[in-house]
Amino acid sequence: MTSEGIGAGPMVPGLRTPANRVSKRAISYWTARAVLGAATILFVELGFAWAAKFSVGWRTAIVGTALVLAVHAVIMPRWRYRVHRWEVTDQALYTRSGWFSVHWRIAPISRIQTIDSHRSFGERLFGLANVTATTASAAGPVRIHGLDRGLADRLLDQLAVATGQVPGDAT
Amino acid sequence: MTLPEVTGDGPDQIVAPVLDEALRDEARHDEVMSSAATIADPNTRWRRLSPRSMVVRPLTDLVRLLPLLAGLLILHARTGGGLVWGVIAAVLAVASGLVHWATTRYLVTDQRVYLRRGLLSTKKLSVARDRIRTVDITAHPLHRVLGVCRVSIGTGRNDLRLSENFHLDGLTRSDAESLRALLIGQVGPASAGKALPAGQVLSTGQTAPASQVLPAQAPASQDRAVRQADDAGGEIIRLRVGWLRFAPLTMAGLVVLGVLFGTVIQITNATDVNLAASGPVRRVTADYAALPFGERILVALAVAVAGYMVVAVAGYVAVYWNFRLVRDGPDTLRVTRGLLSVRATTISLARLRGVEISEPLSLRAVGGARCAAIATGLHVGRGAEREGSVLVPPAPSAVVEDVAAEVLGAPAKICAGPLERHGRAARRRRYTRALAGAAVIVAAVWAASRAAHWPAWVPIGSIAAFPLAGLIAADRYRNLGHRLADGWLVTRVGSLSRRRSVLGTDAIIGWRIHQTWFQRRQGLLTLTATTAAGQQHYSVRDVPVALGLAIATTATPDLIRPFLATEPAASASSGMTCRPDSRCGRRANRAGRRVSRAAGGGHGS
Repeated sequence: MTSEGIGAGPMVPGLRTPANRVSKRAISYWTARAVLGAATILFVELGFAWAAKFSVGWRTAIVGTALVLAVHAVIMPRWRYRVHRWEVTDQALYTRSGWFSVHWRIAPISRIQTIDSHRSFGERLFGLANVTATTASAAGPVRIHGLDRGLADRLLDQLAVATGQVPGDAT
Repeated sequence: MTLPEVTGDGPDQIVAPVLDEALRDEARHDEVMSSAATIADPNTRWRRLSPRSMVVRPLTDLVRLLPLLAGLLILHARTGGGLVWGVIAAVLAVASGLVHWATTRYLVTDQRVYLRRGLLSTKKLSVARDRIRTVDITAHPLHRVLGVCRVSIGTGRNDLRLSENFHLDGLTRSDAESLRALLIGQVGPASAGKALPAGQVLSTGQTAPASQVLPAQAPASQDRAVRQADDAGGEIIRLRVGWLRFAPLTMAGLVVLGVLFGTVIQITNATDVNLAASGPVRRVTADYAALPFGERILVALAVAVAGYMVVAVAGYVAVYWNFRLVRDGPDTLRVTRGLLSVRATTISLARLRGVEISEPLSLRAVGGARCAAIATGLHVGRGAEREGSVLVPPAPSAVVEDVAAEVLGAPAKICAGPLERHGRAARRRRYTRALAGAAVIVAAVWAASRAAHWPAWVPIGSIAAFPLAGLIAADRYRNLGHRLADGWLVTRVGSLSRRRSVLGTDAIIGWRIHQTWFQRRQGLLTLTATTAAGQQHYSVRDVPVALGLAIATTATPDLIRPFLATEPAASASSGMTCRPDSRCGRRANRAGRRVSRAAGGGHGS
């Protein structure tokens, strides 16, 4: 694993980078999602522009947003891939996510209440899954996006075993 | 109240327990583990609500439907159908009351509390007794006339829908009191699972007679606001009449006004009465219109202020009258209050994770504050749930801080006094954000006034947003801070609504660290402790990176330390990585190995 600019090193000096990357296919998935979102926005804009008989203002607006969205669809998935990391120790679940803004989440294994895996339609197309671990705090769910499907299943089993060994939920 | 469980003092007793076999089996199954004799215990049987609840339900339903019914009656009075509608509504209401009473049953066993209700769709709820955090007894005026009340049992669950709330509407006061003592008296500070026999609890419990709890108390004493509570239990604080001066300074009055306004609108809509066209209103408006301009403004102001004050004070009195915070036994707190609707909330001290002292700007200006409990099972949220967590109503901040410290058993500096500042970068961020917000507002006003040809003073006046934003930013920075001491994490944020949260570090069940791109450039981060209590998360905002990590590490050393980089950035990630989508052969299930490695198919470094 070579250091790849943003995201490879710890962004917060002092906080370790979680060990594992998500699946490389997540880049394609995020790109597809960004393109789909961009298409929706452009479609709506085209509707307005059509109603306004494609005035110069609308044409520039459409070209402008198309450019911004294209840049977003190219940069965001790669940036996100460099940021998204996760790690499970026998003490805690540790993740880093986001791209422009970055979130770190730490949830102790002993406090995890439920673990579930979810695959949206889009994720299934790309063979991905996400794993969510909830704690007794409504603000505390830790979600790992863009995992390889088989890995997600194994992770789910591992977490189930690990959480079963520690009683109590500190509420 | 000498009996361990209330065996009913009325028809309750006569009703033979009609058992739902399936649920009883369920109950028995749970009990088998503990003691086989439990179910045979005559006290352990299904109970019903008080028969008087049959009256409560239809009447409350009718009151709720009153505007609609009035509308229907008036509408149909012309066609003669009004009576029919009225009869149908009454029959439905009575039937719903009967069904509610007949189908609601509850059972308290050694381990769990069961509740079933519903005729067509039966709902069965059960809750483990060691998961009960709070018991809330409320009685609105109708309840009080009939001598019944509503008991809500707060568990730590946050994902409950409203229909899944564990509540019993229509218990007699004595039933409710003994249920409360039974459910919450036994939760010890150390072992939540320790189950005492029911009889033992009540014979030793500090249960106040029901008559002392719900009916009106003698007026608040004037001498000392804070009293020392003795070990066996005692009053910590009660309402002082002088606190009424804080009433107009809270938003509560606005809420009351909103509700009043809504009700009036609803009734006028339903009844087709045009209030504005009615005689008295017309006369008043005509008189008002006859006044000179200056006087009109003065009169309007005076009426608004006076009206608001009356409503706010009335609201304060209605909610907080007879407010008392009592240490109820060695490990429970109890809050009673209310003028018309009374409410008695019992909080297990073992579940009290902290307090939140909030000081809206208006209250802060006159040295006032209020305090809410951070406890699992009590949400610091909106509406009724929020009311349950009140520890001190709007009162002098010194009193509030004293009570908070006493309830928590924390040193005074935790609940009062200055906090550690977050430094220059945090201050700059306060100003940048406030001024950027002001700039957006000013730009919008300028654009709008150009488009809509507003008079010139509007955009020029909008520039005042900048100094205002500056003031707010300065105050926000002054208020921003944290402290970590004696096992308490204290954070404070806000200006218009300043809040100081005190959270026990043992209640922290995870961390979130958030850093926007801007924060990253400024070397700041927002550290959020997640917890199962209150608002579920409490943040130390815009703290310098190193300081933030130090807070987290000091608060929960075991949790954070494994994720701190012990060596410089570049080498931290190499060698420790396990590429999850690679198959690396070796099985790694030995104890102490990372779970993730096993999950990732095993990967040596």
